[in-house]
Amino acid sequence: MNNDQVSSGIWFFIGLTICLLSLQYRLGTLSSPGPGFMPFLSGLAIGLFSMVGFIHATIRRNKGEVWTSLLKELHWEKALTILILLFIYGLLLRPIGFILCTLFFIGFLLRVTVPQRWLLVTGGSLLITLTSYLVFEVLLKAQLPKGFWGF
Amino acid sequence: MMGFQLAFQPINFLFCFIGVLIGTLVGVLPGLGPVAAMSLLLPITFNVSPVSAIIMLSGIYYGSMYGGSITSILVNIPGEAASVITCLDGYQMARQGRAGPAIGIAAFGSFIAGTLSIVGLMFIGPSLAAGALRFGPPEYFAVMILGLTVLTFLSSGPMWKALLMAAFGLFLSTIGIDNVSGIARLSFNIEELVDGIGLVPVVMGLFGISEVMVNVEGSLDRSIFAAKIKNILPNLNDWKNSLGPIIRGTILGFFLGILPGAGAVISSFASYAVEKKISKHPEKFGTGVIEGVAGPESANNAATGGAYIPLLSLGIPSNAVTALLLGALIIHGIQPGPLLIKEHPDIFWGTVASMYLGNILLLVLNIPLVGLWVKILKVPYPVLFPLILLFCLIGAYSLNNNIADVFIMNVFGLIGYLFRKFRYEAAPLVLALVLGPMMENSLRQSLLLSGGSAFIFLNRPISSVILIVAFLLLVFPLIPWFKRKRPAFGE
Repeated sequence: MNNDQVSSGIWFFIGLTICLLSLQYRLGTLSSPGPGFMPFLSGLAIGLFSMVGFIHATIRRNKGEVWTSLLKELHWEKALTILILLFIYGLLLRPIGFILCTLFFIGFLLRVTVPQRWLLVTGGSLLITLTSYLVFEVLLKAQLPKGFWGF
Repeated sequence: MMGFQLAFQPINFLFCFIGVLIGTLVGVLPGLGPVAAMSLLLPITFNVSPVSAIIMLSGIYYGSMYGGSITSILVNIPGEAASVITCLDGYQMARQGRAGPAIGIAAFGSFIAGTLSIVGLMFIGPSLAAGALRFGPPEYFAVMILGLTVLTFLSSGPMWKALLMAAFGLFLSTIGIDNVSGIARLSFNIEELVDGIGLVPVVMGLFGISEVMVNVEGSLDRSIFAAKIKNILPNLNDWKNSLGPIIRGTILGFFLGILPGAGAVISSFASYAVEKKISKHPEKFGTGVIEGVAGPESANNAATGGAYIPLLSLGIPSNAVTALLLGALIIHGIQPGPLLIKEHPDIFWGTVASMYLGNILLLVLNIPLVGLWVKILKVPYPVLFPLILLFCLIGAYSLNNNIADVFIMNVFGLIGYLFRKFRYEAAPLVLALVLGPMMENSLRQSLLLSGGSAFIFLNRPISSVILIVAFLLLVFPLIPWFKRKRPAFGE
């Protein structure tokens, strides 16, 4: 199978799932569409287009288009690290506050993903954190979280 | 004259300046948009006059259109949904060391388009607003279908992928409370999903977070950005290539901006489609042609002028931004509608005059500062991408002070990353997400009107013509002869 066959297959099941989930919200009738009408239509459309895509991809498979590796020769672990960090940032933002959370976040990114010198890591993360606090909290009044120690 | 007298009063001049400066700033900063900025600053307008309030908030609106193009060009992250299309050629121009001319032509094009659209607002507004009154739910639905079809027509990959993305965007737009029944759909008992999935976190995730993820897994040595950037302003050849797109984008953007739902976003996409279609070298679009920046940026600024027509003449907002302006007017005791010009001429003419002033201020601010924006490119990417991520995080959180928006952005960052791996374009999804609620309302109202007959869309002349055009756009790629000639986005 090639990439498009796999992805269109996944999309077909997503469309099918959406259709099934929509049924619990009352489709209504054409003259009085219910809340499930539009989600069901969109799920149906996803399923339909994915079937078209699968046929299209199968034709190309028969012409020789094969699976292409998505992660070959790439530092995918860096992308994964960033994603995990983003979720951790979200989890810790309110408990420890914007300043500390951002300090560690920026410092970690500067040091771990593409290692920079410690001077740049500490100075950069301090500067970025304080500048962004000044711009967003003080000037734009964004009301960023303070954490349980008040800053 | 009354309008200019009002606009040039020191207090209103100051508010206009503050508005366009903040607007450019929030447009430049990835993740923050005019809606967030306007909602943050709305409370400070409570103690000023309605004219000053609307002048400042309007400044943020069109200032953000200027600023949004800068991040599209410099870091391939659209500062605004209307600047998504600018990423295609603007970013490529930057990679070729032509960031300066790209930003310059975006600024000049926006100025010209913004100025001309204000002229249109002044002279043509009332007549066009009357024409827009003929649009009922079937026409609105047809226009939005056309908008989505145009976008999928332009996709670089197979159309089925773009159509699938659009359908997925429509599905995402249905999450949350149904306007008619009040039922929370597809929220899975998650409180944060009851209000639906916001556009800003989705866009930041799909375009901002995923872009960073894709970039860091490759080589971060960007020799292109290390090259000295010359010729900050557009040269004569750039102007020669851009003048036509600017004029066409202005006209297209202005008229599309009038139509609710078909605002700055569709205007910019439509302009790109037109320029690519009439170009002698359509295959070059997506590789860094200046027409791909001049047209869309002019169109989205012209659309802002057009969007004011239904707002000030009918009291109907065209998009989230003008909806916020409507709210601001109501808070100040002004009821927008057909009587606004008669009962509150100072509001109408003061706003119009301030838009002239604001466009001049934006040009004065942005052209000298082009060098400053371009210097951002010289910041090494390992230092730049943490900033991008931080701005996205702050932008997502500060929208509603809700941590759920941060998580939504992160999820869509992962989804956007997977989309890029499997070569799915995110733009149709974003457009469908924006248009989805209005499309659903229009569809349901149309079916209610017709008693369940889908023929209502074909029985009405305006909607039938629009849908026929959309159908032809869908069908033409299947014709082998046309398939060879169909232009496509470069990726």
